[in-house]
Amino acid sequence: MASVKPQRSTSTGQDVETNESVSTKRPWSVIVWDDPVTPMTVVVVIFRKIFGFPNAKATQLMMQVHNEGRSRVWSGERERAEGYCVRLHTHGLAATIEQDS
Amino acid sequence: MGRGTVFIRRRDGRIEVRLNDGGREFVKEQFTMLIAAQQDVHHEWFSTLSAPIDPSQDDDDPLRSLERQKFVASNVELALMSSDDTFLNDAEAWAWLSSLQRALRANASSFGLADADDVEQASEPQLNIVHSLQQLLFELADVLS
Repeated sequence: MASVKPQRSTSTGQDVETNESVSTKRPWSVIVWDDPVTPMTVVVVIFRKIFGFPNAKATQLMMQVHNEGRSRVWSGERERAEGYCVRLHTHGLAATIEQDS
Repeated sequence: MGRGTVFIRRRDGRIEVRLNDGGREFVKEQFTMLIAAQQDVHHEWFSTLSAPIDPSQDDDDPLRSLERQKFVASNVELALMSSDDTFLNDAEAWAWLSSLQRALRANASSFGLADADDVEQASEPQLNIVHSLQQLLFELADVLS
């Protein structure tokens, strides 16, 4: 009997730790939002400069912003997502970050 | 060298600015407004220029807000300092582009232009400002691409 309780306790602890780890590692996305005045070519050159995307990918993401109202342009660690969002703001684009569900 | 009429990429890599006095004054006014707005919470442009990074939080990380403030300040100050120059290097041209783009969105927001319908119903003076900024941005993006 004595050996059973510690095993259960250890098992519960590991489960909790695993859940926290999974929660923390859910990626964060950088979302760019549409606005009615920004020229399309401006969005493309800013995407190319900030993310280093080739012209085709930058154009595709810009069109997604234009047609769907938003586009997920980058996904990964929170700190880097915040950094990209700050750079997008600095260049005058509407952007936010959100954690993937 | 370039296709534009206001910003032209020369053979030596510099970007020539062909703005008349009125155009220079307009650009300077936009840059000056940006500088004023980012330091004044009551300025009509302030909320647009300070949009949240993470809307799920009540407040953004102060370090990130400060980082943004520093980037924006250095860009618009560089843009203003070079606003009388005939030639821009790429760093100055990018400072112009980012500052003019921020001014465009701040103007649109203060005019209440949230969607295409609002833009269609905007007044003539409002549209003049929006279209002037869009034209400058379009040509700058072309020479920087």
